[in-house]
Amino acid sequence: MVLQLVKLELLKTMRSSSFAKSALVAVFLGFLAVILLSYVLILGFFLKEVIEKGFESTDAYATLTGALIYFYLFEFMYRYFVQKLPVMELERFLHLPIRKSSIIHFLLGRSFISPLTLIAPLLFLPFAFKEIGPRFGDWAAWSWAACVVLSSWSLHWLMLWFKQKFEDSFIGLGVVFAVLLLGAGSSYYGWFNLGDFFKPLFDWSLVSVFPVILLLVFFIALHRLAYTYYRNNAYLEDLAEEENLRFVNQDLGIFNRFGLAGQLANLEWKLIVRHKKSRTYLMLAGFFLLYGLIFYTNPQYQTEEGFSHMFIFVGTFITSIFMLQYGQLFLSWNSSSFDFFLNRRGGVESLIKGKYLLFVVTSVFCLLVSVPYVYFGWDILLIHLATFIFNMGVVIHLVIYMSLWKPKPMDLNKGAMFNYEGVGIAQFLMMIPIFIGPYIVYFPFALLINQYAGLIALSVVGMIGILFFPYLSNIAVQKVLKNRYEISSSFRQEL
Amino acid sequence: MITVNNLKKQYKDAVVLDVESLEIPKSECFGLVGNNGAGKTTLFRIMLDLVRATTGHVMLDTVDVSKNEDWKGRVGAYLDEHMLLSYLTPDEYFEALRKIHQLSEEDLKLHIQKFEELFNGEIIGKKKYIRDLSKGNLKKVGIAAAMIGNPEVVMLDEPFENLDPSSQVRLKKLILQEKEGSQITFLISSHDLNHVTDICDRIVLLEKGKIIRDLHDKSTMVEDLNTYFGT
Repeated sequence: MVLQLVKLELLKTMRSSSFAKSALVAVFLGFLAVILLSYVLILGFFLKEVIEKGFESTDAYATLTGALIYFYLFEFMYRYFVQKLPVMELERFLHLPIRKSSIIHFLLGRSFISPLTLIAPLLFLPFAFKEIGPRFGDWAAWSWAACVVLSSWSLHWLMLWFKQKFEDSFIGLGVVFAVLLLGAGSSYYGWFNLGDFFKPLFDWSLVSVFPVILLLVFFIALHRLAYTYYRNNAYLEDLAEEENLRFVNQDLGIFNRFGLAGQLANLEWKLIVRHKKSRTYLMLAGFFLLYGLIFYTNPQYQTEEGFSHMFIFVGTFITSIFMLQYGQLFLSWNSSSFDFFLNRRGGVESLIKGKYLLFVVTSVFCLLVSVPYVYFGWDILLIHLATFIFNMGVVIHLVIYMSLWKPKPMDLNKGAMFNYEGVGIAQFLMMIPIFIGPYIVYFPFALLINQYAGLIALSVVGMIGILFFPYLSNIAVQKVLKNRYEISSSFRQEL
Repeated sequence: MITVNNLKKQYKDAVVLDVESLEIPKSECFGLVGNNGAGKTTLFRIMLDLVRATTGHVMLDTVDVSKNEDWKGRVGAYLDEHMLLSYLTPDEYFEALRKIHQLSEEDLKLHIQKFEELFNGEIIGKKKYIRDLSKGNLKKVGIAAAMIGNPEVVMLDEPFENLDPSSQVRLKKLILQEKEGSQITFLISSHDLNHVTDICDRIVLLEKGKIIRDLHDKSTMVEDLNTYFGT
């Protein structure tokens, strides 16, 4: 049965109208995964030396075990942003004589096959046999390694449950931010040493088998947690959904001044607020507004003069994360009603102009909200201003052109539970070229003259982009109009 | 065969379905009619355990459908196109179902043969994905899929909608044939009063989620319904 499901999923991917795009992304991701995993493996082999040299420690084992909890906190963070939730069109299988349990087991099993699963074994197994084996014996090495790997894998199931249950809520973001603060705060500011709480558990594993059993039980329990949650929600409807967002359910008055495009921007705003997936992106924008607190206060990035080059990256994130993420699925958001826009006079043009408008408004909002960062120095305000102008003039067009290549249909109205991909690695991947953009302009000036010249260059280029806005945005409009038959037929087919 | 007890479905304050009791005996052809939003599809969805009931339960023979899944092999259904795998061709889809139902190739061939007339040569052997089919042909694929694997109960939501007139007649003939031959219990919702009164022994009328008529007498059925709908 599972084999049958695997086959069907494969066929589905291959026959999708956006197969070329997904395949290219998959190949690139696979390539990236292999490279990163081999780095991890190399790091694993030299972990002992790295710890001894880097941390000037005489006891690599004690240092590493004491720091393991930070690794897990870090793992929690990257899993939150990178790990994909299992997705399936459940309604196509529920009425067939396939057990729900086998569908869910298939989904959970599939999600476990991921590069993320390999990170902990690749990193810690070599260490176990280079350092722990000779010192404490082979058996201790196995036991310790099992504990470390099981803890990491437990996080996998925890994340499946956590992301599905909380991603659309402030609780979820709160927890993630708390984890971030816990990790960063306790180590950088030395409030307390979290590592000491968990070290005894791993120390114990050197002499006893109990920690392994304990963690195995923990691993199975978390698997059960995820399984039960998915199994109980394997229905077409969502769980009772509370509409606590009523206050934003209104028109944004500011859009009304921009004619039809403004009206469509308003519609788009409603679309965002009323669907779970798009709401997540909005939440994420809020989350990244706080992102600066981590970078700007981090002593690692403090420099004697000027500011760290990294801050350009942070500024781009803070001022336009919503545009960067939401914009990648540019037309996909409207895939179920694309014919509606085709059917109006000037509909497509206004749709696209409306989206531009929406991106500009959200970015301006983010810029204004981020003004208090000036507390950390005037430089920060200048960086935000420069990256904002550059984003509005250049990056906005980059995002939109890239998203117009084979847009993927997306049905927002389906039950969110199993159709909800959330934020995954692919969304961040598409951002890479977009992030390189600012540095291409910034670095030549920053390195040759000084950093402020770099910022001025960013602003000037951005300004030029803004001046040519009508021309540049028209390219996108023309592109959609030219491909409208193709786009609308692919949207119609797959929904 | 199917027993419904105190079934209620509520979305916040709105009660969309409220059925105190309903008993559908074996091999009955059960027709469900009602205005838009009367709760027909919701009733079917709850019967199939696709949607959770707020209170009450649906029993198939003696099992609660939400507690156990063994009944899924005995019930076939086609409610909407989301139940199909649109990225397959009809042949591939039937083949996938054959494996899921664990039938032999011969079984499937015999099954498809029954639909030869209804399919009218437009479905089998064509290299066309289900997503590219017309609405009527989609429906035909769905109906044939619902009846795969000798189910005891078949639920069809608006089976006549989108079909051309000759296909409608053929479908009627097919349903009557199956009912006679295999003792299948049919549950059919429809807006087409003529068709549904033709094939069904019993018609239940839903209004705002409640059963307001339960008609057994074929001779007065049509008149009763016509008075209610004002046609």
